[in-house]
Amino acid sequence: MTETTTVSPAQPLVVEEGEAQRGFIGTNVPRKEDKRLVQGQGVFFDDVKRHEMGFVHFVRSPYAHARIKHVDVSKALELDGVYGTLTGDEVAILTDPFFELSTPPGAHIKDYAIAVGSARHVGDPVAAVVARTRELARDASELVEVEYEPLPHVLDGEEALKDEVILHEDAGSNTVWSGVFDWGDFDAAVAEADHVVKIDRLHFDRFSSTPLECAGVLVEYNRGTGQWTLYGNHQMPGVGAIWMAPALRVGLDKLRFVSQDIGGGFGNKITLHPQFTACCLLARKLNRPVQWTEWRTDQHTANTHGNERTFLDVTVPVKADGTMLGFSVRAVDDCGAFPRYEPLGCIIWAQVTPGCYRWRNVRVDFTQVCTNKSPVAPNRGYSRMQHLWLTERIIDIVSQELGLDPVAVRKKNYVKHEEFPYETPNGCIYDSGDYARCLDVALELIGYDKIEERRVDAEARGKLLGFGIGSTLDSGTNNFGQSMILNPELQFSGNNEVATVKLDIFGEVVVTLGTVPQGQGHETTTAQVVADILGCTPDDVHVRAGHDSYWNSHAGFSGTYASQFAVTGLGAVKGAAEKLAVEMKQLAGAVFGGAPPEAIELAEGHARIKDNPEAALPFMALGAILNANNAGLPEDLDITLNVRYVYRPPFQKPDLERKYGNLTLTYATQVHACIVEIDPETGVYEIVDYAAVDDCGKRIHPQIVEGQVHGATAHGLGAATHEVFTYDADGNLLTPNFYDYHVPHALDMPPMRNGFIESESPFTPLGAKGMGEGGGAGIHAVCAALQDALGRRGEGPIVWRSCNPYHRVWDLLQSPQESRNFVTVESR
Amino acid sequence: MRVEGEKEFQAPVETVWEVLNDPSKMAKTMPGIESFDIQDDTHWRASVKVPLGLGGLKMSIDFEKTEERENEFAKLHAKGNGVGAIMNMDTAFHLSGDGDSTHMKWEADVNILGPVASMGQRVLQPIVNQQVTQVLSALDQQVQDAKAE
Repeated sequence: MTETTTVSPAQPLVVEEGEAQRGFIGTNVPRKEDKRLVQGQGVFFDDVKRHEMGFVHFVRSPYAHARIKHVDVSKALELDGVYGTLTGDEVAILTDPFFELSTPPGAHIKDYAIAVGSARHVGDPVAAVVARTRELARDASELVEVEYEPLPHVLDGEEALKDEVILHEDAGSNTVWSGVFDWGDFDAAVAEADHVVKIDRLHFDRFSSTPLECAGVLVEYNRGTGQWTLYGNHQMPGVGAIWMAPALRVGLDKLRFVSQDIGGGFGNKITLHPQFTACCLLARKLNRPVQWTEWRTDQHTANTHGNERTFLDVTVPVKADGTMLGFSVRAVDDCGAFPRYEPLGCIIWAQVTPGCYRWRNVRVDFTQVCTNKSPVAPNRGYSRMQHLWLTERIIDIVSQELGLDPVAVRKKNYVKHEEFPYETPNGCIYDSGDYARCLDVALELIGYDKIEERRVDAEARGKLLGFGIGSTLDSGTNNFGQSMILNPELQFSGNNEVATVKLDIFGEVVVTLGTVPQGQGHETTTAQVVADILGCTPDDVHVRAGHDSYWNSHAGFSGTYASQFAVTGLGAVKGAAEKLAVEMKQLAGAVFGGAPPEAIELAEGHARIKDNPEAALPFMALGAILNANNAGLPEDLDITLNVRYVYRPPFQKPDLERKYGNLTLTYATQVHACIVEIDPETGVYEIVDYAAVDDCGKRIHPQIVEGQVHGATAHGLGAATHEVFTYDADGNLLTPNFYDYHVPHALDMPPMRNGFIESESPFTPLGAKGMGEGGGAGIHAVCAALQDALGRRGEGPIVWRSCNPYHRVWDLLQSPQESRNFVTVESR
Repeated sequence: MRVEGEKEFQAPVETVWEVLNDPSKMAKTMPGIESFDIQDDTHWRASVKVPLGLGGLKMSIDFEKTEERENEFAKLHAKGNGVGAIMNMDTAFHLSGDGDSTHMKWEADVNILGPVASMGQRVLQPIVNQQVTQVLSALDQQVQDAKAE
């Protein structure tokens, strides 16, 4: 295990294009994708057009909950240029409900491509119209007459638990899934504690990702073969097909998913199967290609949101010296109108059960419910972010209430560097890391030694200064076996990813990935790995852009999600390149008259005899010999120079009884530090300094890592300060576009310093860890800084929500007792 | 959203009552009205174009008089259907006369659903206020015209 610490911008070497040397891994080679992207030559789904195609527009419910009594599309169909429509009644006949992952009651929910019987949130699609232009389709949709019978609705997770209003009559309850997780001996920990801190309520607000490119797809139906081709931006098509094919009553191979460039995903392009299924039905019904391009307002209103979670009755046993023994909590997770990818969020948080801490006694009573709001889906840091916000809030609230230093408390409770690999109370194995060192780097970057002087200076200017830390884990490469903890009937476990590498006839190295890149630089980092293994340059490696399931280079879990490309994607690339290298050496040995492969080396684009570098065959010769000039090669030379490798992480199935096992392979670390200044007169605050330290093991391409850190930080800061999906009492989303939903832009970002540590993972092929989701460290750091600024020991309000726009800070300043009442301390 | 107010008319209460209960006269008080059909004594239908954003919001509104006490009180329910919006309104007015003048107290509970309610949240209240001002001004004119007849 090696470690380095670097602090940007003193970044190392940038390798010039075409430069021939080994050791590309770890350097900032030019990104292969950037030329086409900055020149506007990327191909996104909306760039794909077909002759006579039609454009889809969805008619959406204005009610949060209503029975659909009648849908009349006749007036829309009379409009010149309208090709056709689709209604819920048709969908109910032509498809089966999508597969549900939950046990009952969630298992009984019926979810279709278009609302059948009832609309369950504002924006729920109730019909679709296809027309000659996108604008005409939208105009025609206004002629669709829908008769609704309004029903009572429920917008709050805790209210939904009462089942006074039920969304899904088939399920008979709003509860999707519930269960208790109990590890260690929490009651004994409470008995042993010197203090017990109780926090009645914390709330993680609803927000999401807002990718530059909204969702969409162009669907072609081949009547001769019964196959659909979907040029879309689904970021996990393998799983998308598992949902769609049974619903459409066809085999998986009838669905071909294609994408080249995707303008961001962040998780909310994982559950596009309802919209894609509607488009498949329309393409078949109308016998013409159809394209659906989501409007931004639809993206906000009815695509997906991140999980909203309320934490109740948090109890934390603490020793006199600040050692925390664990916690218990009752969590209510609001997944909106349909579970879709849920209830996986009910277990995925458990990947990081104790956060960064050595807590051995944890009890979590977890319930997920439906409400009449947009459905949720994985959102950058999915489910772990909400939980890590809880663990960080625990640290800061407990520290404040007991008069302890949050820096010292963190260091006391962090998992120690020498304890790695560290097994958590629920059997997850934290692979490597040095949290205390990351914190030290963050403190140094932000100038923590001067914090008290800055506090005095701010006070002199009439400002309240606060300092906060967010220390999180980005768990990556998940073990799908965790789904069986929720539903033992599910037959999912492990993980996999595919790559193929071939040496073509002119000596080109061609790589095909199973992943679905959305801007993460897969082509670049793949080329780095292959170049190092084959002894050529990244320029010699052609990585096919995007994903096509007809390439036959994908597996069941292929996709880009859950912080794993550096492990599963590059693990597959490494495996395939190594197999190809073996074959190239075998072929060269045969050509050289029977030299053993171990006598051959690959270097500088040649296969050559180690002891006689003059005896060298260029890659072009190897490609040409096997593919086009192979007469006379030994009969037992069983090679193809076209290899496919499936990387499977070393996972076991979890112990379902104990809800115990290794749920994910790697744990990247983020420690963020933040300084805010609040104007106590108005509640307006500014993030005046920020530091982010990341440890994702071996960095394949440091600049890509730094870019991901910047993005995740901006996303977290947006969620901490402004980004929130707010509904009115009728279930109307009040933040349906960028006018009301403020995503930070460059000028909103605080001055940021970055630091990096490399604690290589002992479990992964390259020592790298997945990263990029960031664990929401920015949210936690801002909340902690606001808490620090607003109240010292035993005074001031409690920051109990994850999103704190200025008006909430104002409320906290005006009514500190309201939130303070949430916290009690019992000392013995 | 709830709006309410009071207004004085320089006309006897019977005249004000007559105007308020004459759909054809009331139709003339409604801004953006495109058509008005009287179905029976208590049911009317109007097509209006509410000035909301570019092009306005077309809405078909069904009115139903649900309660009345002559010269004193009336209550109406209105349900509007438009593209991206559904409106429900309950409105009531109370009259009290004093010779040649009439005092009217009114209130309305307006509920708007759908994307318009989401996207138009910042402009709905001022638009409703503007519409009310126009209606009351036009109503005053109708009352004065009726008084002169």
